[in-house]
Amino acid sequence: MKKKFFRGFAVLATLALAAGLAVTPAQANTKIVVWADESRGPNLTKTLATKGDWVPGYTVTIKSFANFDALKDAIDKATATTGPDIVVGANDWVPTLAKNGKLAPLTLTASQRARFSASQFYDLSYKKKLYGIPVDVNNVAMIYNTKLVTSAPKSFGEMVDYYKANKTSKSLKAGLCVAGGGMSWGAHSVFSALGADAYYFNPNGTINKSKSFNPNEFGANVKKFLMDGKKSNGFFPATDTGCKDNFLAGSVPFAIIGNWEWNDYKAKGFTMNLMPVPGTSGRSGNAFGSVSGALLTTFAASNGVEAAAKSLLVDFFGSTAGQVAYQLNEKRPPAEKGAASDATVTDGQKGFGASAAAASVPQVGAILNGPSGKSYWDSAPAYWTAVLVDGKDAVTEAKKLAAIWRANLKAAYNDL
Amino acid sequence: MTKWFRENLWRHITGTVMCLFALFPLYLVLLSAFNESGSLQVTSFLPREISFANFDVLFNDERIPYLTWMKNSLIISGFVAVASVVIGAASAFAFSRLKFQGKKFGIQLLLLIQMFPAILALSALYVIMERVYKFAPGLGIGTQMGLVLVYLGGAMGVNIWLLKGFVDSIPAELDEAAKIDGASAMQTYWQIFVPLAAPVLAVVSLLSFIGTFNEFILARLFLIEVESRTVAVGLQQFIGGQYSENWGPFAAGSIIASIPIVIIFLSLQKYIISGLTAGSVKG
Amino acid sequence: MLIRGKVATTIKVAIVALISALLLTLTQSAFAKKEYVIAAFLAIAIFAINFTYFSKRTVPLKFFLPGILLLSAFVITPILYTVVMSTYNYKTGNYIGKEEAIGRIKALALEPDENNSAFDIVVGKFQESEAILVSDIENKAYFISTSERRFELLSDQVELDENFVAQRVNGFTPLDASEIASSKAATVRYFYNKQYFITVENLNVGAVFRQSLEYLPDQDIFKSLINDSIYRDNGNGNYVNPDDKSDFLEPGWRDPAWFTNYVRLVSDERVRDPLISVFIWTVVFATLTVLTQFSFGLLLALALNKPIRGRRIYRSILVLPYAMPSVMSILIWGGMFNTEFGAVNEILGSDIAWFQDPTFARFAVILVNLWLGFPYFYLVSSGSLQAIPSELLEAAAIDGANPRQVFSKVTLPLLLQILSPLLIASFAFNFNNFNLIYLLTGGGPREQLDGEIAGSTDILISYTYQIAFGSNLQDLGLASAISVLIFFLVASISLYGVRKSKVLESFT
Repeated sequence: MKKKFFRGFAVLATLALAAGLAVTPAQANTKIVVWADESRGPNLTKTLATKGDWVPGYTVTIKSFANFDALKDAIDKATATTGPDIVVGANDWVPTLAKNGKLAPLTLTASQRARFSASQFYDLSYKKKLYGIPVDVNNVAMIYNTKLVTSAPKSFGEMVDYYKANKTSKSLKAGLCVAGGGMSWGAHSVFSALGADAYYFNPNGTINKSKSFNPNEFGANVKKFLMDGKKSNGFFPATDTGCKDNFLAGSVPFAIIGNWEWNDYKAKGFTMNLMPVPGTSGRSGNAFGSVSGALLTTFAASNGVEAAAKSLLVDFFGSTAGQVAYQLNEKRPPAEKGAASDATVTDGQKGFGASAAAASVPQVGAILNGPSGKSYWDSAPAYWTAVLVDGKDAVTEAKKLAAIWRANLKAAYNDL
Repeated sequence: MTKWFRENLWRHITGTVMCLFALFPLYLVLLSAFNESGSLQVTSFLPREISFANFDVLFNDERIPYLTWMKNSLIISGFVAVASVVIGAASAFAFSRLKFQGKKFGIQLLLLIQMFPAILALSALYVIMERVYKFAPGLGIGTQMGLVLVYLGGAMGVNIWLLKGFVDSIPAELDEAAKIDGASAMQTYWQIFVPLAAPVLAVVSLLSFIGTFNEFILARLFLIEVESRTVAVGLQQFIGGQYSENWGPFAAGSIIASIPIVIIFLSLQKYIISGLTAGSVKG
Repeated sequence: MLIRGKVATTIKVAIVALISALLLTLTQSAFAKKEYVIAAFLAIAIFAINFTYFSKRTVPLKFFLPGILLLSAFVITPILYTVVMSTYNYKTGNYIGKEEAIGRIKALALEPDENNSAFDIVVGKFQESEAILVSDIENKAYFISTSERRFELLSDQVELDENFVAQRVNGFTPLDASEIASSKAATVRYFYNKQYFITVENLNVGAVFRQSLEYLPDQDIFKSLINDSIYRDNGNGNYVNPDDKSDFLEPGWRDPAWFTNYVRLVSDERVRDPLISVFIWTVVFATLTVLTQFSFGLLLALALNKPIRGRRIYRSILVLPYAMPSVMSILIWGGMFNTEFGAVNEILGSDIAWFQDPTFARFAVILVNLWLGFPYFYLVSSGSLQAIPSELLEAAAIDGANPRQVFSKVTLPLLLQILSPLLIASFAFNFNNFNLIYLLTGGGPREQLDGEIAGSTDILISYTYQIAFGSNLQDLGLASAISVLIFFLVASISLYGVRKSKVLESFT
């Protein structure tokens, strides 16, 4: 029995070896692989199914992930073996991925650069090199419920007064809450309205490297408008959970919402009363504006398709025709200027555009991601919790916050 | 009457309180599944409307092949449940019945391996399976087969450990009798031991079925193609997105996903309890 | 009845041969793709399988081998990988291998000319070598460039398109996409002038660059070609300018750091202090979880141990938390604890900020985990209760023990003995219960303004995940070192537990 077995074994082994040794000749790679999330992925596939020859001679394969976190998980771990040539991701991935050698820079001609506003490149650059093409614009604006408030509030105080006066009679659960973008990114306009911007700009458009917010003034505003002695007055919740639902249900008069979900509000019969958060001293609160980007990976070079991938970035992701075709399916505001003016502009997109034009600030990852060790993203929500929930002193905590933001600004000098 | 009170009332009170505790969150899931706005927040504890919009998304949106996900989950979890118990039971039997050098060391090593915090194994498994992908694309990263292999490896530790506890409790006289009859260890295992331990094996495979069904972190790394995803990965699509969360379809999907497990549980209730009983008591 | 002899052997041989053949195919394709470690593992596996199942002396191994192979491939290897990673300086900025990093630095060390010049190009062949046809539209200048030199063209020599981009010229053969893909044409550096060259930026555009850094392999340094500064390997995964420590090249690479990460666990207070507090909470969390789950499960099992009316219904409801996908139930609980809008505050009529206050957050975590786990302990306890021989209990009662004494002196010790492996397994599981913490509180709340890194509900594994994958500064080396440390802690606790349970065993 044993002998027989070994004979069979030998035959099988020879067959297996022979099969494996018939090596297939290496083929030229004409496939560009793009990774995207659960929404952009299927819409890119759909767009490319209509017209796929953006780079003549190359085919484009889209891989969609289950959600944004899954995409981030995978790109963090990917290597050239299975990694993509292009990944459509968030602007704040750029510094980390670039430092880890996963992104490759690209150079645009002057006319290609002119298709975008300069601030959009802030988001996708690291150490003066550009790593991707801006695809869609993300920003937030404040919406108010006309069934509760008849006219646009002119100041922060007016909103607080309204809340205090109608809290019981209209069973309001909060005055102003953040529905889109979370308590750090989405809440920047509230910080700003009360006097704390993450950083300031010089008149010539460069970042002011020495200015940071005044914690005394900001802290005093927080005490005056958001606090009732040592406790929160209930006007501004310290978390974003449930804000959207409650605004839609009519129990919150003002909400900060994202431009990616205005359709949900529209569907519930809300008019797009969009505006920046009114400030305490006539100045409106600046909201962050940022872009999602199609980022070029270093795997494109290992796969031998770097030039073709760059062509796809410029001719599809970064062109008027490409963004129009894509946003027809994805329905976010396009980043490219031609597409932005060409796309069928809805009142929702218009409202966000107007609000952004009135008060917005580009998101500079190099500063916000915490080069000093503590990031804007973690410290901002921590401030709301410390003051509004734990009842700590608004000014003392504001000083800590200012120190963190200042340290980040300083640490980011070299990267700007 | 008083005797009934003393004897049984506390039993009913305990049972009722714990049932309410168990049901309360589930009731909220039901509310959001049948609520069109799909809100997770309680606006009212009584349903105001019953809408099937969330279920409609699951079954009629071409981008959400929910039934395929369900099928994938059942196949993957079913396969892992059966295979891991088949393989694990053999080891458990050997640990329990055979005499060999290094047995104690082996058992302790097995326990220790389970204790290792496997969170960084994510990176390692990714690297390994990516390399496997290079020479065997059908087994590497991105494939269900690869995921099943990884699950099987991961299930070994727990299953052998649990099964060993149960196997120890099966009276040794039976297989010793077989041994005297001249049966080899293999024969004893297949023909005496496996039938005896069947309820126990069923319970452990049910536990590993549930575990596999719920796993999402590895699965979402492995199963990229929409058609290949499991329910746990697919449903993530509705939460943890970059911008918004969509609780309605998520709640609806979870309810449907839990139906098979509930059915297995309820229909095999007696069997499960007796399996645990047989398993956890020394003979 | 027993299947013996030839049939059994034939089946065995067939299965083993099939598996060996499969593995052999894999081995050789792994070998062909230069995955030598995997090939070696597979080869050893084939040998082990054949040896084990055809030798008479390997009875225990016959039972263990499949399990051992799976464990080694997918559990032990990742563990070893983690241990190895813990000895590296492996974090954001020091992520890839050194060779790859050198390649990246070279590729990034391209400096554009002062005008950021970029031209429309056509990629093709000229005089048998790769070449590009360049159109400088602004200056209406055209030339062909190879890696060696450039050939100026007059505008009437070239065929232009509507944007004045040259498409054709005599002697120049444009390549189509697949030809470009299969040649090196897109990676050649084409001559521009003595200092600068043109790279193919994309299929239609070339950009003008010069190399700003040069790698000298024999000295292992990078030398600037512009200002003569040099960058040396600093022994920690970066090339650094010795004259200016803040001037270093990116990306760095993961460099062996031996025990640095472990030393940091002890000496760096920013690492050590949070670790200690997280460890304490982890032990408290796992212990409380097992205690609450077990006692509530046991209480229920005792209550429903008699065939009272409605027992089946109770039982059916009680297993529901166990059947619901836990991801969903944890997230639902998260919503229920929301301060402003959550169901818990709604019912209590309170406005507790559950997840912003450390004590409440910890309470919530334990409560949710109780909900998730008590059905399991109810099932196993009621199974074990039914199995305790009734004679034992009757004997105790006859001896004059009251029900409470019977429970505490007979039932409970017996139960503990029966269930101790499950209790240990449950402790170990909860010690590393990542999903619960990650999905419910994310480890928070964190007093970030006061510089706290770890959250109040962070257990070791979620804290490790945060360090390894969470923030913008991912430190996989340190996270691995923490993993190894956790392992030693849990391992000693469990071994102690096992000994303890052995003591229990001999007691009865």
